[in-house]
Amino acid sequence: MKMSSRTKALTYVVCILGVLLVVFPLYVTVVTAFKSPNESARSFLTLPSSLYLDNFQNILRGGDYWTAFFNTVYITAFVLLGNLVIMPMLAYAVSRSMNISRWYRILYYYLLLGIFIPFQVKMIPLVKLMSSLNLMSPTGLSILCIGSSTCESVFLYVGYMESIPRDIEEAAYIDGASTAYTFYRVVLPLLKPILATAMIKDGLWIWNDYMLPLLILNKSASHWTLTLFAYNFRSTNAIDYGASFACYCLQMLPILVFYVFMQKNIIGGLTAGAVTS
Amino acid sequence: MAKSNKIKGTQNQVVARSRRLTFLLFSIPGIFLYSLFFIYPVLMGVYYSLTDWDGIARNVNFIGLKNYVKIFTKSPRFQNAITFNLKYTLMYVVCILVLGIVLALILNHRVKGITFFRAMFFLPAVLCGVTVGLIFSQIFYRVVPAFGQALGIDLLSTNILGDKRLAIYGILFVGVWVGLAMPTVLFLAGLQTIPQDLYESAMIDGANSFDQFRYITMPFLIPVITIVMILSIKGGLGIFDLIKALTDGGPARSTESVSYLVYTDAFKNNKFSFAIAESVVVGVILAVVSVVQVVFQNRKKVSA
Repeated sequence: MKMSSRTKALTYVVCILGVLLVVFPLYVTVVTAFKSPNESARSFLTLPSSLYLDNFQNILRGGDYWTAFFNTVYITAFVLLGNLVIMPMLAYAVSRSMNISRWYRILYYYLLLGIFIPFQVKMIPLVKLMSSLNLMSPTGLSILCIGSSTCESVFLYVGYMESIPRDIEEAAYIDGASTAYTFYRVVLPLLKPILATAMIKDGLWIWNDYMLPLLILNKSASHWTLTLFAYNFRSTNAIDYGASFACYCLQMLPILVFYVFMQKNIIGGLTAGAVTS
Repeated sequence: MAKSNKIKGTQNQVVARSRRLTFLLFSIPGIFLYSLFFIYPVLMGVYYSLTDWDGIARNVNFIGLKNYVKIFTKSPRFQNAITFNLKYTLMYVVCILVLGIVLALILNHRVKGITFFRAMFFLPAVLCGVTVGLIFSQIFYRVVPAFGQALGIDLLSTNILGDKRLAIYGILFVGVWVGLAMPTVLFLAGLQTIPQDLYESAMIDGANSFDQFRYITMPFLIPVITIVMILSIKGGLGIFDLIKALTDGGPARSTESVSYLVYTDAFKNNKFSFAIAESVVVGVILAVVSVVQVVFQNRKKVSA
């Protein structure tokens, strides 16, 4: 379809305005992070007159940022790995038994039940449960998150497995391969696209999550994640704009880098997952 | 012959049994984690909502539906919060639908650099809501009033988050900023399923662009609209992070959402069982929305 030059111009105007709107808060964050307290008190929007690095240095020199950073990396890696080990197995068992066993059909519905249960209902009992199990720690939070990701993972993986022709597995079985061997050597490699989708979605969720860390980890600074660090930093350093914004920069930076390189996969992964959340 | 068949049969049985065992072992860890960290707390929550537990006391008394009765009859604070949620959700859904469709239509134009623009528009979806909220709270505090004063707009010349009537719009703005990316991409995907020749034949028949939108684009977008609507209803009713980052429920409780209230009641006011009952009420509302979602999605699958 040919486009009139007016439509074209309008498209660009809206796109550029939109990009400005998206970039503006990020611009403010970056320039403020590089300003001395004096300068950021004088002017908020201008570019920094010189590259003032103390904000970053102060944060990076304090141990709390690194603790939070490593906690976040640890939790994210733990959850993704745990999900990768546990959930495809479960989904495979469900997917291949559902048609012949009533129990697995019931199990499937039981596992999907969680989609209908909003977080608020279990929020408070969770805290009691976690503290009684002595799991108010990054490791505890990771295990909790693996459990919480069940519904969505099972939904995505089972859906995808239904589309994989069973002939491939049958061939492996006829050759005498065990069920476990067939799963790990034949089925799991075929699941790569959907595993990537789930990993991206869960990874972003955990990296950016605020509510669960707030409930489980807020008590001691050695357990904080980056989002908690950023939030708590604001409450204790309310006047120190530069430092706060440097802190926000450092929270967003890893994600932004990740986004630049993986943009297509991220968009695809998140939209595929949007339907279940 | 019969003998070898019999052997084969028992062999098959052995294989089937070992397969069943493998599947059982495959399922156990997942079922265990899910039951312990998902289903059990929910059941516990429902049970505690029927008691007078304060979060600390050893003895817990069963008081039936008293908490629920109290929520609906003697809790102006809950009613205030649910009113905020409904008002916010209504505005949020309308903004997301209208802006999402308009943006998707624009981003669907094949002009130079459009991939770059699409990538930029999607960016907010990967950022952390709380961090974005904290950044905007400073922008509302320092930048917006400066603009308002310079342009002589009274409405914007003070921090709108500090104004009882306006704070909700500040939250809405940030909510849409964060939440618009995903629906836009979903709409965009929906637009790309529309066969282009439909538009061409419509143009030959003399349909203007509004007619084309009304009779070709919209019908194709209905399934996506349903999904986006339900997702944004859930998002609006469950809002917590942004309120924590932007207003902390203030000023004068004008931006207190139910999730925020549940959190404060449980962890600041020690009204545990009451807070859980409040969360169950929201939970039921959200569950109904989810059921509607699944019903619609299944219907979509059937018709597709």
